[in-house]
Amino acid sequence: MVRGISLLYGLYLLLPIALLLVGSVGGNWTNTLLPTGLTGQWYVDLWLDTSFRKAFVSSLVVALSACAINTVLALPLAYALYHGARRGGSLAARIVSATPVAVPAITLAFGYMIVFNTDLAPWLGSMPLLIAAHAILTLPYLTNTLLTDLRHLGLDRLEQAAATLGASGWQQFSGIVLPSLRQSLISGLVMVAAISVGEFGVSNLLTSFQNRTYPVVLLQAFYGATGFACAATVILLVLASASALLSSSLVKQRAVTP
Amino acid sequence: MSLLLDTVSYNYPGSTHGLHEVSLDVRTGELVAVIGPSGSGKSTLLKLVSGLETGHTGRIALDGEDMSRTPVHRRHIGMVFQSYALFPHLSVLDNVAYGLKLRKVATAERRQRAQALLDTVGLGEYAQRAVAQLSGGQQQRVALARALAIDPRALLLDEPLSALDASVRGHLRDQIRAIQQRFGATTLLVTHDQEEALAMADRVAMLKDGRLLQIATPREIYEQPASRAVAEFVGLSTILPAKVAGLNKLDLGFAQLAAPTGMRAPGTALHVLVRPEHIAADPAPGTPNRIAGRCGAQRYLGALTRYDFEVPGAPKPFLAESARPATEAIAIAPEHLRLLDH
Repeated sequence: MVRGISLLYGLYLLLPIALLLVGSVGGNWTNTLLPTGLTGQWYVDLWLDTSFRKAFVSSLVVALSACAINTVLALPLAYALYHGARRGGSLAARIVSATPVAVPAITLAFGYMIVFNTDLAPWLGSMPLLIAAHAILTLPYLTNTLLTDLRHLGLDRLEQAAATLGASGWQQFSGIVLPSLRQSLISGLVMVAAISVGEFGVSNLLTSFQNRTYPVVLLQAFYGATGFACAATVILLVLASASALLSSSLVKQRAVTP
Repeated sequence: MSLLLDTVSYNYPGSTHGLHEVSLDVRTGELVAVIGPSGSGKSTLLKLVSGLETGHTGRIALDGEDMSRTPVHRRHIGMVFQSYALFPHLSVLDNVAYGLKLRKVATAERRQRAQALLDTVGLGEYAQRAVAQLSGGQQQRVALARALAIDPRALLLDEPLSALDASVRGHLRDQIRAIQQRFGATTLLVTHDQEEALAMADRVAMLKDGRLLQIATPREIYEQPASRAVAEFVGLSTILPAKVAGLNKLDLGFAQLAAPTGMRAPGTALHVLVRPEHIAADPAPGTPNRIAGRCGAQRYLGALTRYDFEVPGAPKPFLAESARPATEAIAIAPEHLRLLDH
Protein backbone atom coordinates (compact mmCIF):
# COMPACT_ATOMS: atom_id res chain seq x y z
CA MET A 1 0.00 0.00 0.00
CA VAL A 2 2.63 2.49 1.13
CA ARG A 3 4.94 1.29 -1.60
CA GLY A 4 2.19 1.74 -4.16
CA ILE A 5 1.57 5.32 -3.06
CA SER A 6 5.24 6.23 -3.13
CA LEU A 7 5.59 4.61 -6.55
CA LEU A 8 2.67 6.66 -7.84
CA TYR A 9 4.04 9.81 -6.26
CA GLY A 10 7.48 9.20 -7.72
CA LEU A 11 5.93 8.71 -11.13
CA TYR A 12 3.98 11.94 -10.71
CA LEU A 13 7.23 13.75 -9.87
CA LEU A 14 9.46 12.18 -12.48
CA LEU A 15 7.08 11.89 -15.42
CA PRO A 16 7.16 15.61 -16.32
CA ILE A 17 10.95 15.56 -16.17
CA ALA A 18 11.07 12.47 -18.35
CA LEU A 19 8.66 14.04 -20.83
CA LEU A 20 10.80 17.20 -20.92
CA LEU A 21 13.89 15.15 -21.67
CA VAL A 22 12.10 13.23 -24.40
CA GLY A 23 10.57 16.39 -25.84
CA SER A 24 13.88 18.22 -25.91
CA VAL A 25 15.35 15.70 -28.35
CA GLY A 26 12.11 15.05 -30.25
CA GLY A 27 11.76 16.37 -33.81
CA ASN A 28 8.06 17.14 -33.99
CA TRP A 29 5.52 17.11 -31.13
CA THR A 30 2.01 18.28 -31.84
CA ASN A 31 -1.19 16.56 -30.73
CA THR A 32 0.55 13.21 -30.09
CA LEU A 33 1.39 11.35 -26.93
CA LEU A 34 5.09 11.31 -27.73
CA PRO A 35 7.17 13.33 -30.17
CA THR A 36 8.35 11.86 -33.47
CA GLY A 37 11.91 11.90 -34.78
CA LEU A 38 15.19 12.45 -32.96
CA THR A 39 17.14 15.68 -33.13
CA GLY A 40 19.69 17.80 -31.26
CA GLN A 41 18.51 20.87 -33.11
CA TRP A 42 16.67 22.44 -30.15
CA TYR A 43 19.83 22.53 -28.05
CA VAL A 44 21.77 24.06 -30.94
CA ASP A 45 19.04 26.67 -31.37
CA LEU A 46 19.17 27.38 -27.65
CA TRP A 47 22.94 27.81 -27.73
CA LEU A 48 22.69 30.19 -30.67
CA ASP A 49 20.04 32.27 -28.90
CA THR A 50 21.98 35.09 -27.19
CA SER A 51 19.16 36.08 -24.86
CA PHE A 52 19.16 32.60 -23.33
CA ARG A 53 22.95 32.57 -23.01
CA LYS A 54 22.88 35.91 -21.26
CA ALA A 55 20.05 34.82 -18.97
CA PHE A 56 21.99 31.71 -18.08
CA VAL A 57 24.95 33.82 -16.92
CA SER A 58 22.68 36.26 -15.08
CA SER A 59 21.03 33.46 -13.13
CA LEU A 60 24.41 32.05 -12.13
CA VAL A 61 25.65 35.45 -10.98
CA VAL A 62 22.49 36.12 -8.99
CA ALA A 63 22.45 32.69 -7.33
CA LEU A 64 26.12 32.71 -6.38
CA SER A 65 25.94 36.29 -5.11
CA ALA A 66 22.90 35.41 -3.01
CA CYS A 67 24.83 32.44 -1.59
CA ALA A 68 27.81 34.63 -0.72
CA ILE A 69 25.70 37.35 0.89
CA ASN A 70 23.63 34.82 2.84
CA THR A 71 26.72 33.07 4.17
CA VAL A 72 27.95 36.35 5.58
CA LEU A 73 24.53 37.30 6.99
CA ALA A 74 22.98 34.02 8.11
CA LEU A 75 25.85 32.65 10.22
CA PRO A 76 26.01 35.54 12.68
CA LEU A 77 22.24 35.95 12.52
CA ALA A 78 21.53 32.32 13.38
CA TYR A 79 24.19 32.40 16.08
CA ALA A 80 22.76 35.55 17.64
CA LEU A 81 19.23 34.18 17.43
CA TYR A 82 20.32 30.92 19.05
CA HIS A 83 21.85 32.68 22.02
CA GLY A 84 19.09 35.27 22.11
CA ALA A 85 16.43 32.59 22.22
CA ARG A 86 18.14 30.93 25.14
CA ARG A 87 18.00 34.19 27.00
CA GLY A 88 14.28 34.42 26.35
CA GLY A 89 14.10 36.78 23.39
CA SER A 90 12.74 34.20 20.99
CA LEU A 91 10.28 36.55 19.27
CA ALA A 92 12.93 37.62 16.78
CA ALA A 93 13.73 34.00 16.06
CA ARG A 94 10.10 33.20 15.42
CA ILE A 95 9.67 36.20 13.11
CA VAL A 96 12.68 35.16 11.05
CA SER A 97 11.58 31.57 10.75
CA ALA A 98 7.98 32.45 9.90
CA THR A 99 8.75 35.17 7.35
CA PRO A 100 9.04 33.05 4.19
CA VAL A 101 5.74 31.35 4.94
CA ALA A 102 3.80 34.36 6.14
CA VAL A 103 4.96 36.95 3.62
CA PRO A 104 4.54 36.03 -0.05
CA ALA A 105 7.60 36.80 -2.15
CA ILE A 106 5.49 38.90 -4.45
CA THR A 107 4.89 41.38 -1.61
CA LEU A 108 8.61 41.98 -1.43
CA ALA A 109 8.74 42.54 -5.18
CA PHE A 110 5.91 45.08 -5.18
CA GLY A 111 7.49 46.85 -2.23
CA TYR A 112 10.76 47.10 -4.12
CA MET A 113 8.94 48.39 -7.20
CA ILE A 114 7.47 51.25 -5.20
CA VAL A 115 10.58 52.13 -3.21
CA PHE A 116 13.21 51.76 -5.91
CA ASN A 117 11.30 53.44 -8.69
CA THR A 118 11.79 56.89 -7.15
CA ASP A 119 14.24 59.67 -7.97
CA LEU A 120 15.88 59.12 -4.61
CA ALA A 121 16.62 55.45 -5.32
CA PRO A 122 16.19 54.75 -9.03
CA TRP A 123 17.62 51.25 -8.95
CA LEU A 124 14.70 49.21 -10.20
CA GLY A 125 15.94 46.77 -12.83
CA SER A 126 19.56 46.87 -11.69
CA MET A 127 21.53 43.73 -10.97
CA PRO A 128 22.43 44.59 -7.34
CA LEU A 129 18.76 45.12 -6.49
CA LEU A 130 17.85 41.76 -8.00
CA ILE A 131 20.63 40.10 -6.03
CA ALA A 132 19.48 41.84 -2.85
CA ALA A 133 15.93 40.62 -3.40
CA HIS A 134 17.09 37.04 -3.92
CA ALA A 135 19.32 37.24 -0.87
CA ILE A 136 16.50 38.47 1.35
CA LEU A 137 14.09 35.95 -0.11
CA THR A 138 16.37 32.99 0.62
CA LEU A 139 17.97 34.21 3.87
CA PRO A 140 15.33 32.72 6.22
CA TYR A 141 15.77 29.27 4.68
CA LEU A 142 19.48 29.28 5.36
CA THR A 143 19.04 30.84 8.81
CA ASN A 144 16.47 28.21 9.72
CA THR A 145 18.70 25.38 8.57
CA LEU A 146 21.55 26.71 10.68
CA LEU A 147 19.31 27.36 13.69
CA THR A 148 17.97 23.83 13.62
CA ASP A 149 21.49 22.48 13.54
CA LEU A 150 22.65 24.77 16.34
CA ARG A 151 19.83 23.51 18.55
CA HIS A 152 20.32 19.92 17.52
CA LEU A 153 24.06 19.89 18.19
CA GLY A 154 23.68 21.59 21.57
CA LEU A 155 26.58 23.83 20.66
CA ASP A 156 26.35 25.81 23.89
CA ARG A 157 27.88 22.84 25.72
CA LEU A 158 30.80 22.75 23.31
CA GLU A 159 31.21 26.50 23.61
CA GLN A 160 31.30 26.24 27.39
CA ALA A 161 33.93 23.53 27.15
CA ALA A 162 35.98 25.68 24.77
CA ALA A 163 35.61 28.66 27.08
CA THR A 164 37.00 26.77 30.07
CA LEU A 165 39.94 25.75 27.89
CA GLY A 166 40.70 29.40 27.20
CA ALA A 167 38.75 30.26 24.05
CA SER A 168 37.44 33.80 23.77
CA GLY A 169 34.01 34.43 22.27
CA TRP A 170 35.45 34.84 18.78
CA GLN A 171 37.66 31.76 19.14
CA GLN A 172 34.63 29.73 20.23
CA PHE A 173 32.72 30.90 17.17
CA SER A 174 35.48 30.41 14.63
CA GLY A 175 37.05 27.29 16.09
CA ILE A 176 34.05 25.36 17.34
CA VAL A 177 30.75 26.73 16.05
CA LEU A 178 31.73 27.38 12.45
CA PRO A 179 33.34 23.99 11.76
CA SER A 180 30.44 22.20 13.44
CA LEU A 181 27.95 24.01 11.22
CA ARG A 182 29.76 23.07 8.00
CA GLN A 183 27.27 20.41 6.99
CA SER A 184 24.15 22.47 7.57
CA LEU A 185 25.74 25.48 5.90
CA ILE A 186 26.35 23.39 2.79
CA SER A 187 22.85 21.99 2.70
CA GLY A 188 21.39 25.43 3.39
CA LEU A 189 23.36 26.98 0.55
CA VAL A 190 22.24 24.24 -1.81
CA MET A 191 18.71 25.23 -0.97
CA VAL A 192 19.48 28.92 -1.45
CA ALA A 193 21.04 28.27 -4.87
CA ALA A 194 18.19 26.04 -6.00
CA ILE A 195 15.51 28.51 -4.88
CA SER A 196 17.33 31.44 -6.48
CA VAL A 197 17.87 29.70 -9.81
CA GLY A 198 14.25 28.60 -10.06
CA GLU A 199 12.73 31.83 -8.72
CA PHE A 200 10.34 33.42 -11.20
CA GLY A 201 7.84 35.79 -9.59
CA VAL A 202 10.13 38.33 -7.98
CA SER A 203 12.70 38.15 -10.77
CA ASN A 204 10.05 38.76 -13.41
CA LEU A 205 8.93 41.95 -11.68
CA LEU A 206 12.37 43.32 -10.76
CA THR A 207 14.57 42.63 -13.79
CA SER A 208 15.22 44.90 -16.69
CA PHE A 209 15.59 43.51 -20.20
CA GLN A 210 19.37 43.54 -19.80
CA ASN A 211 19.67 41.18 -16.86
CA ARG A 212 16.71 38.86 -17.05
CA THR A 213 17.24 35.57 -15.23
CA TYR A 214 16.78 32.25 -16.92
CA PRO A 215 13.23 31.43 -15.72
CA VAL A 216 12.02 34.85 -16.92
CA VAL A 217 13.37 34.24 -20.43
CA LEU A 218 12.18 30.65 -20.35
CA LEU A 219 8.54 31.77 -20.26
CA GLN A 220 8.97 33.15 -23.77
CA ALA A 221 10.19 29.82 -25.09
CA PHE A 222 6.77 28.35 -24.55
CA TYR A 223 5.29 30.68 -27.13
CA GLY A 224 7.50 28.93 -29.73
CA ALA A 225 8.22 25.32 -30.64
CA THR A 226 7.58 22.66 -27.96
CA GLY A 227 10.97 21.02 -28.46
CA PHE A 228 12.74 24.32 -27.95
CA ALA A 229 10.80 24.98 -24.72
CA CYS A 230 11.61 21.49 -23.48
CA ALA A 231 15.31 21.94 -24.20
CA ALA A 232 15.34 25.33 -22.43
CA THR A 233 13.64 23.83 -19.37
CA VAL A 234 16.09 20.94 -19.25
CA ILE A 235 18.89 23.50 -19.19
CA LEU A 236 17.24 25.21 -16.18
CA LEU A 237 17.12 21.85 -14.46
CA VAL A 238 20.82 21.34 -15.15
CA LEU A 239 21.57 24.89 -14.03
CA ALA A 240 19.77 24.44 -10.73
CA SER A 241 21.55 21.18 -9.93
CA ALA A 242 24.89 22.56 -11.10
CA SER A 243 24.70 25.68 -8.95
CA ALA A 244 23.80 23.56 -5.98
CA LEU A 245 26.82 21.34 -6.61
CA LEU A 246 29.09 24.30 -7.17
CA SER A 247 28.12 26.11 -3.97
CA SER A 248 28.57 22.98 -1.93
CA SER A 249 32.03 22.27 -3.34
CA LEU A 250 33.03 25.88 -2.71
CA VAL A 251 32.01 25.67 0.91
CA LYS A 252 33.84 22.39 1.33
CA GLN A 253 37.06 23.90 0.02
CA ARG A 254 36.75 26.93 2.25
CA ALA A 255 36.13 24.76 5.25
CA VAL A 256 39.14 22.54 4.61
CA THR A 257 41.66 25.34 4.20
CA PRO A 258 42.03 26.94 7.63
CA MET B 1 46.67 26.04 44.19
CA SER B 2 43.92 26.37 46.68
CA LEU B 3 40.36 27.32 45.98
CA LEU B 4 38.35 29.40 48.39
CA LEU B 5 34.69 30.29 48.40
CA ASP B 6 33.86 32.97 50.93
CA THR B 7 30.17 33.68 51.68
CA VAL B 8 29.20 33.19 48.06
CA SER B 9 25.57 33.96 47.28
CA TYR B 10 23.79 33.83 43.97
CA ASN B 11 20.20 34.22 42.89
CA TYR B 12 18.79 33.07 39.60
CA PRO B 13 16.80 36.02 38.30
CA GLY B 14 13.18 35.76 39.27
CA SER B 15 13.53 32.72 41.48
CA THR B 16 14.50 31.74 44.97
CA HIS B 17 16.91 29.12 43.69
CA GLY B 18 20.60 29.79 43.98
CA LEU B 19 23.21 29.82 46.68
CA HIS B 20 23.07 31.34 50.13
CA GLU B 21 26.32 32.35 51.78
CA VAL B 22 28.30 29.25 50.91
CA SER B 23 31.82 29.15 52.27
CA LEU B 24 34.20 26.31 51.60
CA ASP B 25 37.80 25.77 50.72
CA VAL B 26 39.62 23.20 48.65
CA ARG B 27 43.24 22.78 49.67
CA THR B 28 46.04 22.18 47.20
CA GLY B 29 45.69 18.73 45.64
CA GLU B 30 42.53 18.00 47.55
CA LEU B 31 39.36 16.56 46.06
CA VAL B 32 36.20 17.99 47.57
CA ALA B 33 32.94 16.43 46.47
CA VAL B 34 29.82 18.57 46.51
CA ILE B 35 26.69 16.51 46.91
CA GLY B 36 23.05 17.32 47.30
CA PRO B 37 19.65 16.62 45.80
CA SER B 38 18.77 18.23 42.47
CA GLY B 39 18.07 21.91 42.86
CA SER B 40 20.44 22.12 45.83
CA GLY B 41 22.70 24.56 43.99
CA LYS B 42 25.67 22.27 43.47
CA SER B 43 25.78 22.83 39.73
CA THR B 44 25.42 26.56 40.24
CA LEU B 45 28.38 26.45 42.57
CA LEU B 46 30.50 24.79 39.90
CA LYS B 47 29.37 27.22 37.21
CA LEU B 48 30.28 30.17 39.42
CA VAL B 49 33.74 28.78 40.10
CA SER B 50 34.31 28.10 36.40
CA GLY B 51 33.00 31.53 35.44
CA LEU B 52 30.29 30.11 33.16
CA GLU B 53 27.82 31.80 35.49
CA THR B 54 28.52 35.24 36.89
CA GLY B 55 26.89 37.76 39.13
CA HIS B 56 27.46 36.33 42.59
CA THR B 57 28.27 38.16 45.78
CA GLY B 58 31.11 37.08 48.01
CA ARG B 59 34.56 35.97 47.01
CA ILE B 60 35.79 33.11 44.84
CA ALA B 61 39.57 33.04 45.05
CA LEU B 62 42.32 30.90 43.61
CA ASP B 63 45.47 31.07 45.72
CA GLY B 64 44.16 34.24 47.28
CA GLU B 65 43.46 35.93 43.96
CA ASP B 66 39.83 36.94 43.54
CA MET B 67 38.41 35.42 40.36
CA SER B 68 35.05 37.19 40.38
CA ARG B 69 35.96 39.65 37.63
CA THR B 70 38.00 37.24 35.51
CA PRO B 71 36.10 35.93 32.47
CA VAL B 72 35.81 32.19 32.08
CA HIS B 73 38.43 31.86 29.35
CA ARG B 74 41.10 33.53 31.46
CA ARG B 75 40.58 31.53 34.64
CA HIS B 76 42.65 28.51 33.61
CA ILE B 77 40.25 26.16 35.30
CA GLY B 78 39.84 22.75 33.71
CA MET B 79 36.35 21.37 33.54
CA VAL B 80 34.91 17.95 32.76
CA PHE B 81 31.24 17.88 31.80
CA GLN B 82 28.62 15.20 32.32
CA SER B 83 28.00 15.11 28.55
CA TYR B 84 31.76 14.91 27.76
CA ALA B 85 31.40 17.94 25.41
CA LEU B 86 34.21 16.78 23.14
CA PHE B 87 34.55 18.65 19.86
CA PRO B 88 33.11 16.34 17.21
CA HIS B 89 35.04 17.87 14.31
CA LEU B 90 38.44 17.31 15.92
CA SER B 91 40.39 14.09 16.39
CA VAL B 92 40.98 12.74 19.88
CA LEU B 93 44.49 14.17 19.91
CA ASP B 94 43.36 17.59 18.66
CA ASN B 95 40.68 17.68 21.33
CA VAL B 96 43.30 17.24 24.02
CA ALA B 97 45.64 19.72 22.31
CA TYR B 98 42.92 22.36 21.83
CA GLY B 99 43.70 24.32 24.99
CA LEU B 100 47.41 24.27 24.19
CA LYS B 101 46.73 25.54 20.68
CA LEU B 102 44.86 28.48 22.18
CA ARG B 103 47.89 29.11 24.37
CA LYS B 104 50.03 29.24 21.22
CA VAL B 105 52.11 26.22 22.14
CA ALA B 106 54.11 25.09 19.09
CA THR B 107 52.53 22.26 17.06
CA ALA B 108 55.17 19.62 17.78
CA GLU B 109 55.20 20.31 21.50
CA ARG B 110 51.45 20.37 21.94
CA ARG B 111 51.09 17.12 20.02
CA GLN B 112 53.68 15.55 22.23
CA ARG B 113 52.04 16.79 25.41
CA ALA B 114 48.58 15.74 24.25
CA GLN B 115 49.90 12.30 23.35
CA ALA B 116 51.52 11.96 26.78
CA LEU B 117 48.22 12.83 28.46
CA LEU B 118 46.35 10.33 26.30
CA ASP B 119 48.89 7.71 27.36
CA THR B 120 48.22 8.66 30.98
CA VAL B 121 44.49 8.04 30.62
CA GLY B 122 45.21 4.82 28.72
CA LEU B 123 44.04 5.98 25.31
CA GLY B 124 47.41 6.49 23.62
CA GLU B 125 46.55 4.40 20.60
CA TYR B 126 43.26 6.23 20.02
CA ALA B 127 44.93 9.58 19.29
CA GLN B 128 43.97 9.76 15.62
CA ARG B 129 40.45 8.41 16.04
CA ALA B 130 37.32 10.46 15.62
CA VAL B 131 35.58 11.26 18.88
CA ALA B 132 32.40 9.49 17.82
CA GLN B 133 34.27 6.18 17.54
CA LEU B 134 34.92 6.11 21.29
CA SER B 135 32.71 4.69 24.01
CA GLY B 136 31.26 6.95 26.68
CA GLY B 137 33.88 6.01 29.24
CA GLN B 138 36.67 6.58 26.74
CA GLN B 139 35.23 9.95 25.76
CA GLN B 140 35.15 11.02 29.38
CA ARG B 141 38.80 10.04 29.78
CA VAL B 142 39.63 12.16 26.74
CA ALA B 143 37.71 15.01 28.34
CA LEU B 144 39.76 14.59 31.51
CA ALA B 145 43.00 14.62 29.50
CA ARG B 146 41.81 17.72 27.67
CA ALA B 147 41.08 19.52 30.94
CA LEU B 148 44.44 18.53 32.43
CA ALA B 149 46.35 19.55 29.28
CA ILE B 150 46.08 23.24 30.09
CA ASP B 151 47.78 22.59 33.44
CA PRO B 152 44.71 23.99 35.19
CA ARG B 153 44.81 25.93 38.44
CA ALA B 154 41.80 23.91 39.56
CA LEU B 155 39.84 21.01 38.14
CA LEU B 156 36.06 20.94 38.11
CA LEU B 157 34.22 17.67 37.55
CA ASP B 158 30.53 18.12 36.80
CA GLU B 159 28.77 14.77 37.29
CA PRO B 160 31.54 13.11 35.26
CA LEU B 161 30.21 9.57 35.64
CA SER B 162 26.46 10.11 35.55
CA ALA B 163 26.04 9.39 31.85
CA LEU B 164 27.95 6.12 32.01
CA ASP B 165 26.92 2.52 32.52
CA ALA B 166 27.27 1.18 36.03
CA SER B 167 29.85 -1.35 34.84
CA VAL B 168 32.16 1.41 33.58
CA ARG B 169 31.52 3.83 36.42
CA GLY B 170 33.33 2.05 39.22
CA HIS B 171 36.51 1.56 37.25
CA LEU B 172 36.56 5.08 35.84
CA ARG B 173 35.91 6.49 39.30
CA ASP B 174 39.11 4.89 40.57
CA GLN B 175 41.01 5.99 37.49
CA ILE B 176 39.92 9.61 37.75
CA ARG B 177 40.84 9.66 41.42
CA ALA B 178 44.27 8.14 40.73
CA ILE B 179 45.03 10.64 37.96
CA GLN B 180 43.76 13.54 40.07
CA GLN B 181 46.12 12.54 42.87
CA ARG B 182 49.01 12.03 40.48
CA PHE B 183 48.60 15.52 39.04
CA GLY B 184 47.94 16.98 42.47
CA ALA B 185 44.96 18.77 40.95
CA THR B 186 42.89 20.89 43.31
CA THR B 187 39.52 19.43 42.46
CA LEU B 188 35.86 20.14 43.00
CA LEU B 189 33.58 17.24 42.11
CA VAL B 190 29.85 17.72 41.80
CA THR B 191 27.72 14.60 41.98
CA HIS B 192 24.27 13.50 43.04
CA ASP B 193 25.69 10.06 43.80
CA GLN B 194 26.68 10.07 47.45
CA GLU B 195 28.45 6.73 47.11
CA GLU B 196 30.68 8.21 44.41
CA ALA B 197 31.42 11.17 46.66
CA LEU B 198 32.32 9.01 49.65
CA ALA B 199 34.53 6.78 47.52
CA MET B 200 36.46 9.51 45.72
CA ALA B 201 36.67 12.57 47.92
CA ASP B 202 39.03 13.78 50.61
CA ARG B 203 36.16 15.80 51.95
CA VAL B 204 32.47 15.94 51.15
CA ALA B 205 30.35 19.09 51.17
CA MET B 206 26.62 18.65 51.41
CA LEU B 207 24.37 21.32 49.91
CA LYS B 208 20.64 21.63 50.26
CA ASP B 209 18.41 24.46 49.09
CA GLY B 210 21.48 26.49 48.27
CA ARG B 211 22.95 26.19 51.76
CA LEU B 212 26.03 24.32 52.89
CA LEU B 213 24.90 21.88 55.57
CA GLN B 214 28.18 20.18 56.36
CA ILE B 215 31.69 19.77 55.01
CA ALA B 216 33.68 16.89 56.44
CA THR B 217 35.67 13.79 55.57
CA PRO B 218 33.62 10.92 54.06
CA ARG B 219 33.91 8.97 57.31
CA GLU B 220 32.80 11.89 59.41
CA ILE B 221 29.88 12.81 57.19
CA TYR B 222 28.70 9.20 57.21
CA GLU B 223 29.25 8.48 60.86
CA GLN B 224 28.56 11.89 62.33
CA PRO B 225 26.10 13.69 60.08
CA ALA B 226 25.40 17.18 61.35
CA SER B 227 21.70 17.08 60.64
CA ARG B 228 18.81 14.94 59.49
CA ALA B 229 19.08 16.26 55.93
CA VAL B 230 22.69 15.11 55.70
CA ALA B 231 21.94 11.76 57.29
CA GLU B 232 19.03 11.14 54.94
CA PHE B 233 21.10 11.93 51.87
CA VAL B 234 24.31 10.13 52.77
CA GLY B 235 24.07 6.39 53.03
CA LEU B 236 21.14 4.21 54.05
CA SER B 237 19.58 4.66 57.45
CA THR B 238 16.50 4.55 59.62
CA ILE B 239 15.67 7.89 61.22
CA LEU B 240 13.01 7.97 63.93
CA PRO B 241 11.68 10.71 66.19
CA ALA B 242 12.58 10.29 69.86
CA LYS B 243 12.56 12.09 73.17
CA VAL B 244 15.22 12.18 75.87
CA ALA B 245 13.73 10.25 78.81
CA GLY B 246 16.60 10.73 81.22
CA LEU B 247 20.36 10.44 81.36
CA ASN B 248 21.36 8.07 78.53
CA LYS B 249 17.76 7.05 78.09
CA LEU B 250 15.74 7.53 74.96
CA ASP B 251 11.99 7.14 74.46
CA LEU B 252 10.97 6.15 70.95
CA GLY B 253 7.33 5.62 71.89
CA PHE B 254 7.37 1.95 70.99
CA ALA B 255 10.64 1.25 72.80
CA GLN B 256 12.96 2.57 75.48
CA LEU B 257 16.57 2.55 74.39
CA ALA B 258 19.90 3.29 75.99
CA ALA B 259 21.82 5.94 74.07
CA PRO B 260 24.49 8.56 74.81
CA THR B 261 22.26 11.58 75.44
CA GLY B 262 25.11 13.73 76.73
CA MET B 263 24.05 17.05 78.21
CA ARG B 264 20.55 17.05 76.68
CA ALA B 265 17.77 17.79 79.16
CA PRO B 266 15.02 15.20 79.68
CA GLY B 267 12.06 15.88 77.40
CA THR B 268 14.22 17.18 74.51
CA ALA B 269 12.72 16.14 71.18
CA LEU B 270 15.21 14.90 68.59
CA HIS B 271 15.74 12.24 65.97
CA VAL B 272 17.74 9.09 66.23
CA LEU B 273 19.73 7.59 63.36
CA VAL B 274 20.58 3.93 62.88
CA ARG B 275 22.72 2.61 60.03
CA PRO B 276 21.60 -0.78 58.66
CA GLU B 277 24.98 -2.44 59.32
CA HIS B 278 24.71 -1.59 63.03
CA ILE B 279 21.57 -3.61 63.56
CA ALA B 280 22.32 -7.03 65.02
CA ALA B 281 19.99 -9.85 64.06
CA ASP B 282 18.42 -12.12 66.65
CA PRO B 283 20.56 -11.12 69.67
CA ALA B 284 20.69 -13.27 72.79
CA PRO B 285 17.93 -12.48 75.28
CA GLY B 286 19.09 -9.80 77.70
CA THR B 287 21.17 -7.93 75.12
CA PRO B 288 20.82 -4.14 75.66
CA ASN B 289 18.44 -2.33 73.28
CA ARG B 290 16.80 -5.53 72.14
CA ILE B 291 13.63 -4.89 70.12
CA ALA B 292 11.21 -7.63 69.17
CA GLY B 293 9.31 -7.67 65.91
CA ARG B 294 9.22 -9.47 62.60
CA CYS B 295 11.05 -9.45 59.30
CA GLY B 296 9.41 -7.64 56.37
CA ALA B 297 10.64 -7.19 52.80
CA GLN B 298 14.02 -8.74 51.99
CA ARG B 299 16.54 -7.93 49.25
CA TYR B 300 19.21 -10.52 48.69
CA LEU B 301 22.50 -8.76 47.82
CA GLY B 302 24.94 -11.68 47.83
CA ALA B 303 27.12 -11.37 50.90
CA LEU B 304 24.34 -9.56 52.71
CA THR B 305 20.60 -9.44 52.84
CA ARG B 306 19.01 -6.04 53.34
CA TYR B 307 15.65 -6.28 55.05
CA ASP B 308 12.94 -4.30 56.74
CA PHE B 309 12.36 -5.17 60.36
CA GLU B 310 8.87 -4.30 61.50
CA VAL B 311 8.32 -3.39 65.12
CA PRO B 312 4.76 -3.05 66.44
CA GLY B 313 3.99 0.61 67.12
CA ALA B 314 7.01 1.97 65.21
CA PRO B 315 6.22 4.68 62.59
CA LYS B 316 8.33 2.82 60.03
CA PRO B 317 10.37 -0.36 59.85
CA PHE B 318 14.09 -0.49 60.62
CA LEU B 319 16.33 -0.97 57.61
CA ALA B 320 18.89 -3.62 58.49
CA GLU B 321 21.67 -5.59 56.83
CA SER B 322 23.15 -8.88 57.84
CA ALA B 323 24.21 -12.22 56.43
CA ARG B 324 20.93 -13.69 57.66
CA PRO B 325 17.83 -11.58 58.33
CA ALA B 326 16.47 -11.39 61.87
CA THR B 327 13.46 -13.53 62.58
CA GLU B 328 12.21 -12.25 65.93
CA ALA B 329 14.36 -9.48 67.35
CA ILE B 330 17.08 -6.95 66.64
CA ALA B 331 19.48 -5.03 68.83
CA ILE B 332 21.38 -1.77 68.37
CA ALA B 333 24.42 -1.08 70.51
CA PRO B 334 23.95 2.25 72.37
CA GLU B 335 27.07 3.79 70.77
CA HIS B 336 25.54 3.19 67.34
CA LEU B 337 22.48 5.30 68.02
CA ARG B 338 23.31 8.71 66.55
CA LEU B 339 21.27 11.57 67.97
CA LEU B 340 20.33 14.36 65.56
CA ASP B 341 19.24 17.62 67.18
CA HIS B 342 18.04 19.18 63.93
